[in-house]
Amino acid sequence: MTPPIDITDTMAAATLAALPRVTPVRLLRLLTHWPSPAEALAHVRAGGAAIALGPDDARSTMLARAWAASADATLASIAPTMARRGTRVTYVGAPGYPIDEGIDDRPAVLFAEGERPDVFERPRVAVVGTRAATPHGLADARELGAALARAGVVVVSGLAIGIDGAAHEGALDAGGAVVGVVATGLDVVYPRRHANLYERVRAHGLLVSEQPFGIGPHPGRFPVRNRIIASLSDVTIVVEATQRGGARITARHALDYGRSVLAIPGSRRNPSARGCNELLAEGAQPLLDPADVAVALDLSPGSRRHPARDRATLAGATAEERAVFRALGGEPATADELVGRTGLAPGAVAVAVSGLTRANRVSRAHGLVWPT
Amino acid sequence: MLASIPSATLLGVDGQPVWVEVHVSDGLPGYHVVGLPDTAGRESRERVRAALLSSGMDFPLKRITVNLAPGNVRKTGAGLELAIALALMLAQSYLPEGCLDGVGVLGELGLNGSIRPVPGTLVLAHALRCTGIESLIVPMHNAHEAALLTHLHVRSARTLAEMRECLTGELPWPDPDPPPVDPDEHAFDRDPLDLADVRGLATARVALEVAAAGSHHLIYAGPPGTGKTMLARRLSTILPPLDPDESFEVTRIASAAGGEPPRELAHDRPFRAPHHTASTAALVGGGSARPRPGEVTMAHRGVLFLDELGEFPPSALDALRQPLEERVVRISRQAQSLELPAEFLLIACTNPCPCGLEAAACRCNDSQRARYRRRLSAPLLDRFDLRLRVAGPQPGDGPGESSAVVAARVLAAVERQRDRLRETPWRRNAHVPAGALAHYVVLSDDASAAWLAVVEEYDLTGRGAARVRRVARTLADLADVADINAEHIMLAASLRGEVP
Repeated sequence: MTPPIDITDTMAAATLAALPRVTPVRLLRLLTHWPSPAEALAHVRAGGAAIALGPDDARSTMLARAWAASADATLASIAPTMARRGTRVTYVGAPGYPIDEGIDDRPAVLFAEGERPDVFERPRVAVVGTRAATPHGLADARELGAALARAGVVVVSGLAIGIDGAAHEGALDAGGAVVGVVATGLDVVYPRRHANLYERVRAHGLLVSEQPFGIGPHPGRFPVRNRIIASLSDVTIVVEATQRGGARITARHALDYGRSVLAIPGSRRNPSARGCNELLAEGAQPLLDPADVAVALDLSPGSRRHPARDRATLAGATAEERAVFRALGGEPATADELVGRTGLAPGAVAVAVSGLTRANRVSRAHGLVWPT
Repeated sequence: MLASIPSATLLGVDGQPVWVEVHVSDGLPGYHVVGLPDTAGRESRERVRAALLSSGMDFPLKRITVNLAPGNVRKTGAGLELAIALALMLAQSYLPEGCLDGVGVLGELGLNGSIRPVPGTLVLAHALRCTGIESLIVPMHNAHEAALLTHLHVRSARTLAEMRECLTGELPWPDPDPPPVDPDEHAFDRDPLDLADVRGLATARVALEVAAAGSHHLIYAGPPGTGKTMLARRLSTILPPLDPDESFEVTRIASAAGGEPPRELAHDRPFRAPHHTASTAALVGGGSARPRPGEVTMAHRGVLFLDELGEFPPSALDALRQPLEERVVRISRQAQSLELPAEFLLIACTNPCPCGLEAAACRCNDSQRARYRRRLSAPLLDRFDLRLRVAGPQPGDGPGESSAVVAARVLAAVERQRDRLRETPWRRNAHVPAGALAHYVVLSDDASAAWLAVVEEYDLTGRGAARVRRVARTLADLADVADINAEHIMLAASLRGEVP
């Protein structure tokens, strides 16, 4: 029998989460079987983990034996890293653990790093979507992130390329706080391109992961991570989602947890909007304006404000500019398509697009003209 | 017993005159070639000997020294063999003295005494004529080719024995064989390309016209099946005709590159479309012992068409940057360095990503797309004046103008440019260097304001702004107006677009 040593609950929880071959399910069993992580760790060190793991079969016994052998080494390896990085740990049953008890597959232990631990005390909204986002989708995500931030809502997302990154950026640019839930250890930056964004999230929010240090990106861990995004948020908004993408998984988790799911409708021609449109068909609430979120969060009572694009901004436009803007029909188009639809000469279309760009009515991206 | 005959060897796409000297003396029998011959040159011993014996002459059992002067130039190929054989025959008095004075000789020998064709005859003959030679003996197969040069008396025979009889005056020189009928030419006539085949794509057509008129490099990006390649292939139908100097240059390069000897001066601009597995050396030229012209030189004064640009090896594409900028290729090897002409119009097609679908329908993940885009380096993309997204024709688009109509506009625009750039070394708007723009591509106040506006709107670099200005000049030339107006500037900027 190993003599009990004095280990804090948080350090014990972190050690348990970093044990070899510990899965979210096993970890949750360990932490719910014993009243505190310190006690759980003491039993693990003594080789008694098998009881918590359920059926007392050979696999549980072997795992318990392996954990008993490696628990001390695990503790010794993570303690200095956590101290150096200032990593916080929260676990089921701890005061301030942010996820409801009713959620069966909630993460037993969460690692967190960042300057804003208070985000868990404020209303949170997940903004998620595809990595293959269109310029419209990116603009929506950015605007939505900013609108939520201005309303004092914390934006939760996954720090991925595309919609996730744009939502984080929009919220951060508007001075808001964000939560970035990642699928790797907190010491791994993935995707590399978001190294700067990682630092901004750390400075003005919280980076969260259930994975211990050193865990790299693995395709299987992203859908698992998505349940944390859904469970941490009061409302989940899907901006653009492909038919079978991670964003749909997040939405399904949110529905399972009984949370509101909102989706931004898109053109049926846009494959990056197909997931959203299917969610709407399945009964998700359409998000037509950022104010709709406030309604879903019960933040602002009253009627929904309808977005009314004022036509006045086309005032002063030339006849060609009007024709080109009408020919866009709210969708992106190439210069050739505009020539074909308006019957204008290529030069006249170029002049009109230049004028509309300066009036901020359209923008150019990927060789297409996009209405803003 | 010494005889010497002028001949020539290929150096890239130029000819280098070579004096073939043969010395026959008493001593241990032997045959030595000195003066930087390549393997083919050293092997000439066997071919010359067999050809002489087959033609009813004795190969002297004496000490034979063949010198190829100048000694510092590397001689390539077997084209000097006929000169060696004739010099040897002169030295042995098989031929009357003086019958070859002032006569250049080109030709390769077969073991049976036949005279074989030599690649680059036109180039070699031109080099010899420049040294003052007025009479030339060439293989029968190359007779038409050499006769393309004026002020040159060309004679040819089929075999060494026949040639000896002609030189001694026993027989008259035979007439050259009539050229064989070229089956390809008729196949081409059956299915002529025409721009009228292309429906819609108005802007893409304007870009093609601008490329043809101002020699601006052009890249089309878009999903497969939208007509990118169809348009690009029709570029050759609207190019201005070659002027006589250009025609001679094109023919020379075709001759130097080998293949079927040209029988007349080229009248079409070359259109080269190498496959995307082409190596760097195949694209820009190279090879260690005998540097050969690459596709960029073969496309001189014409078009280099690179379909599926993103599939070419990145190193090969980056090697294009220098010829794109300087319009020549410099090949430096240990033995020699060469400058090959490479004034070509580059037209490229690419898909936006590996799956090739529209931005929104794309199934590629972000890193795949980033990797695909990295294959096309920014400096390479920056050298395209016209960068267009092609989306394919719309339902209801009718056929466009025919090639003849567009070609007439292009020709008029080319003539306007020629007049304007008369006193300069440049021929087309795309060639005007940035420093000379203020003088040769003048902007009115109106156009100047538009230019500054698009520089801001598209966030153009200095180089990008200069390119917009040149394209605007070509648009004005095509519209047959003297001054660039604001619309030309805005259309030029939108044709330059953004990196696809």
